[in-house]
Order: sequence, then C-alpha cells, then structure tokens
Amino acid sequence: MNKISRNAFKGLAAAAIATLALTGCSSTTAAPSLNYKACGVSDEGSWKDKSFNESVLDGLNKAKAKLGVKLNTAESKSPEDFVPNLQAMVDAKCDVIIAVGFNLVDAVNKAAEANPKMNFVTVDGWSNKATNLKPVTYSMNQSAYLAGYLAAGYSKTHVVGTYGGMKIPAVTDYMDGFYYGAKAFEKASGTATKVLGWDAVKKTGDFMGDFVPNSGVSKTIAANQVKGGADVIMPVAGDQFGAVSAAIKEAKVDGVMIGVDKDIAKTSPQYADMVLTSVEKRMTNAVYDIVKQYSAKGAPAFDGTAYVGTLKNGGTDLSPFGTFDSKVSADLKTALAKLKTGIMDGSINPLQ
Amino acid sequence: MSESNKVLKEIMAGSPMRIAISVLLGFAIGSIFMAAFSDSVVASYATFFSTPGDTFRAAGQTIVDGYTALFNGSIVNLQADNPVSMFRPITETLRLAAPLIMAGLGVSLGFRVGLFNVGGTGQMVMGLLGATWVSTRMSMPYGIHMVVALLVAVIFAAGTGALVGFLKAKTGAHEVIVTIMLNYVAINLFTFFLRQPNLLLEHGGGGNPKSDPPALTAQFPHLLGDSFQLNLGIILAIGAAFVYWWLMERSTIGYRFRMVGHNASAAKAAGISVPKTYVWAMAVSAAFIGLAAANQGLGENSGLTASIHANIGFDAITVALLGGSRAGGVVVAGLLFGAFKAGSPAMQIMGVSPEVLGIIQALIVLFVAAPPLIRAIFKLPKAEVK
Repeated sequence: MNKISRNAFKGLAAAAIATLALTGCSSTTAAPSLNYKACGVSDEGSWKDKSFNESVLDGLNKAKAKLGVKLNTAESKSPEDFVPNLQAMVDAKCDVIIAVGFNLVDAVNKAAEANPKMNFVTVDGWSNKATNLKPVTYSMNQSAYLAGYLAAGYSKTHVVGTYGGMKIPAVTDYMDGFYYGAKAFEKASGTATKVLGWDAVKKTGDFMGDFVPNSGVSKTIAANQVKGGADVIMPVAGDQFGAVSAAIKEAKVDGVMIGVDKDIAKTSPQYADMVLTSVEKRMTNAVYDIVKQYSAKGAPAFDGTAYVGTLKNGGTDLSPFGTFDSKVSADLKTALAKLKTGIMDGSINPLQ
Repeated sequence: MSESNKVLKEIMAGSPMRIAISVLLGFAIGSIFMAAFSDSVVASYATFFSTPGDTFRAAGQTIVDGYTALFNGSIVNLQADNPVSMFRPITETLRLAAPLIMAGLGVSLGFRVGLFNVGGTGQMVMGLLGATWVSTRMSMPYGIHMVVALLVAVIFAAGTGALVGFLKAKTGAHEVIVTIMLNYVAINLFTFFLRQPNLLLEHGGGGNPKSDPPALTAQFPHLLGDSFQLNLGIILAIGAAFVYWWLMERSTIGYRFRMVGHNASAAKAAGISVPKTYVWAMAVSAAFIGLAAANQGLGENSGLTASIHANIGFDAITVALLGGSRAGGVVVAGLLFGAFKAGSPAMQIMGVSPEVLGIIQALIVLFVAAPPLIRAIFKLPKAEVK
C-alpha cells in the first residue's frame, strides 16, 4: 500500500513537471470577468468530434477567453441524457443555454417552453416560435454550391459523389448545394457531369442512417461511389474521412475528398493530401457572436429570431485549397469568385 | 464444476462488507482521476514546487465540489430555490435506476443458472421494436394500450432470449457468442424498421431513422405530476425485484434454475432436463430485460432512435455483479448506478468529465469481481462458497 502511494506520488510529480513545461508559457494576462454564464449541451457526438459539437465548444471557449463569461458544459452519451443535461443547466441558472445538434431539438423546445424566463439557443435545430429559443441555422447550400462547382471542375471522370449521415435538413442542405453547384458547372462548361449519392430534384440518395465515425457502412457507400467513377467525394456525416480515404486508396484511383464543417486538412492533417477543400460551417463565430451580443452591457432583450450563417456574414465558406492550390486552375478560381459574389448579392440561387 | 462457474459463484457470494469496501475504494480512486485532471489543479501544477499546498488545496476542493455536485444532482439539490428543483434529483435517480434494476435482474437470473447473458442490448432492442410498433402504430384505449405494449416488449425480448437458449441447448453454441452477435442483428433490424415509412418511421419525418412518439395512451404515467419525469417504471422495477425473489428463492422452476447453475451434471442425474432449463432461463432472463425495453420505449414522450437502449444491456451486467445476483442487491446496485447517471450533468457543470463516473463504476465492479485482489489488499478471510 505504502509503496503504491509513493509510486503514485512520483507519477504525480512527473506529471507536474510535464505540465509545468506545457503551461509555463501560456500564462496570459487575466481575461476580463463578466457576470454572464453561457452553457452548452452536446449531442451524442461528444465535444471532441472534430465537427459541430467541437466548433460550438470552441466558440464558448473563445467567449470565455475574450469576454470573460463563465462556462458550463455537459456532454450527452445517449438520447436519455438530453433532458437531464438541459435541466442541469436550468438549475445552474445559465444566462444562455446552447443545445447542439438536430437530435436535441425536441428536448430544447420543451425546455424553452417549461422555462419561459430562461434563454436557449438551438444549433442546427428549429424552434416552435418560442421567443426564448433562438435557432442557429446555416445556408450551407451556399458554400456547398461552390464546392459542387469546384468538384465538377476538378474531376477528371466528370463524376462526383456525396452521401449523408441521416436524411435530415441539416445534412441535405449541403447535398442540395453540392448537386446544383455541380450541375451549374455542367451548364457552364457543357461537359456532362454525374452526381452520385444525391438527386436534389427527386430528393433521393445515399445515407448511412447514423453518424458513426468511419463506419463500415460509410466505407461501403464511398467504395460504391468510387466504383461508379466518382473521384471527388463529399461525405456529410461528421468524421468519415478515414472511411472515404481508405475506399479511394483501396480502389487505387486518383480521388480526393471535400471536408465538411471544419477545415479538415487542418483538423485532421493526416488526410491533408486528399482534402481538396472543406465546406466550413463556422459555428465558432456564431456562438461567439451570440454570447457577445447578449452578454454586453445594455444588451438587447433576447428574442427568437434565427441567426443564419451565410457567405455574406462569414458563417460559412470554403477552406483554402492548401496543397491543392496549384492543381485548381486559375479559370476555375475566377469562376468560383464570381459565383461567390453572385450568391452574396442574391443574383445566384444556390438551390436551383 | 467448471472454472468460470466457480469464479461466478465466488463473486456472487460477496459479503456486504466486501461490497461496501469496493464502493468506497471506487470512489477513492475515482477522486484521484477527478482531481488530477481538473482545470484548477492542472493550472496549479505550474507552481507545484514553489507552493505545493496550492495543488493539494485545489485537488481537495475539486473532489469536494465534485462529490457535492453528485449529491446535489442525485439526492437533494441543496442550492435549489423551489421545492420542485430541490427534490427533482432523487426522482431522477429513481427514474434512471428503474431500467438498470429490471435489466440487472435479467442478467442476474442468467448468472444464477450459470449463463452469461451479454445480449441485454439485443434483447432490449427487440423489445423496443415490439413496444414501439404497438405504441406508435396501433390505437387502443387508455391503460390497455400501455399494458399491451409492455407485454409485447417482454414477449419480443423473451423470444430473443429463448432463441439463444435453444441454440445453446440444441447445438452447444456458447451463449456469449450468440448473444453478442444477436445484439448487432437486433440493432440493425430496429434501425431498418425505423427507416421504413410503412414500418416505424415517423410520419412527416425526413427519413432519418426515428419513430413517432409513443401514443399518449401507451406512455408510462407520471407518478408525481408533470413537474417530475418520474414514471411508472420504478414501481415496475420494484415489482420485478419481488417477482425475481419469489421465482428464484421459492418456486420450483427457480429451484431447477439454481440446481442447473450449481451443477448441471447433478441436475441431469436428478432428472432435470438441462437443455429445457437453458431455454427457459434465457427466456425469463430476457423477459426482465424486456421490461427495461418497455421502460425506455414507453417512458419517453418524444420519438425514438435506435440508441435509446442507452447501453443499459451492458450496464446491467455491472449491476448484476455488484448486486450479487440477489434481488435486494440488484435494487441497491441499480439505485447506485442510477444516482451516477442522475448526478452526471451536475458533476459535468463542476468541470468533472463524465468519464470519471464511468471509471468509478468500473472500478467498483472490478473490485467486487476480483475477490482475491480485495482480500489481499484488506487481508479479509476467503468468502465461503456455498
């Protein structure tokens, strides 16, 4: 027993030295302090999902560092946890409670109804018109449209693919934009282009049925699309980049992926040489902006108006092409820039 | 007697003393994890050598805060300003304990017969499939609807269990392999049903595998009004514990179960059909797990996805081990792990990662299930194997 505790102490001391080295240089000046508590509840994906949960957490952490707000966070492991986690935030008297993900939408609508004096935000969800529940939504079709155009222009086989986790609006919005973007290239260039995995007109396509990272189902879908000739694939289901890259490598074709939600070439550098670009959902900014707006002195009363992330307000955009920058032709880049301006001023509708 | 059976028996013969020590030890080691990785403690490592006191103070504070949060989140919230939020935690503990107790009883029954039922998830999901079908696709009068849905859940689960028992009895296939494989079959079958508009997919849904909410007539009634989520489940769980006790300790079939578990060859010599007993034991074991399925499927008022089984089938194994496969023990173990689930959000708010509770839970079971280890640490006498 004694020996064990002595060893444990040694271990602790070693850990202390290690963290000493790590934290030694990061002691920044103390952040300002605000009497405002921002709270977040994740869905089943966990806070470190390299996707939307993590983006929201980043936004909350940014608000903590820059504005000095207090944070409370809770992770959900199964649908059973949604209601208790939201209730815990209500009990903790949070000033704003951010529920992440479409799956929490029922729970957060009920919580908002039951606690009319508390403020809620639903990221990727919708609200029952409650004035104390603000939906954060995105016009992902805007940047996905650019991605579809780019994919079609980059593809050597003139076949591009996409598939989703579940057939829910937050997912199909990307796929719609991607489809119409690719079709726009077809029209502009006169080259017949095939989109596998989604038909935005018929609303049918390939879905995994869940968001399990890099699952066997995911790899099978990707492999089938590769077999069908696709050399650019955009999986819209969180982290599927291991599955898609494996499917491409196993088929020994010269294929690339398009990332979603975050700049995948940066967050998962092991795939950087296969990520053409990413359709970024910049939730970090949205969360930070909302917390900043309502924690400020003399802030306006909270309301249920949706925050919509667009190309215009920087809530969504394409990531830099990184290692692929030299492989994307100047013509294609010019065309993309033109399309972007068109979408921003409303002259181009990414959904047709 | 096979070696694994001996170990199972020794685990089940655990004295309350040893279990209490295991729980305390679990909490003690859990607090090390809690303290060592909390933000305030990690921050103080930087100055560990100049002011080591800070580190220990921060660690002590973290542990006290963490366990206070567990208490506030699972028993009574002392910081609440109204009676509803004050007493909600204990009702949540009871609510979350109910399915753990039900499924724990099922796994326990298997243990007593010498069967390791790790198919709780699959049996639950089959039960959920049946319950969801009845609760969303059929209309019946209030009261009857719920009872029918409940019975269908139990029958579906029991049928899945009986299939495992049958395969073991007829072909000698080991129940661990069969139950684990059936877990995948069940989950994917349920997901398939949830995707089909003419089967279980919600009306007006986008195509993601999710059912309609159970009909109001089929939902478990709330026990304490709508401010609390506590529902009929806990009463069913306590009732199930009584049934389990009577079945195992008083009934003829329970005697047969125990005898096969004790020594299958002797049972056979005494004229008990061992294969038949396996089929019945797996069916009854799964029937208890089917109750947990009904609890998950009918205790919700929003649509269900396949993950609503919430891994209770596996957690039930830990409940059964900690509870020594006895009715009373399972109820207490279920309440303890239910309290962990209820207290988890409050602890997360204090910055304790939810995994810490998982570690404590696992440690407790490890200590309970590793009798020689605990005996060696505390120099306890060897438990008598009955």
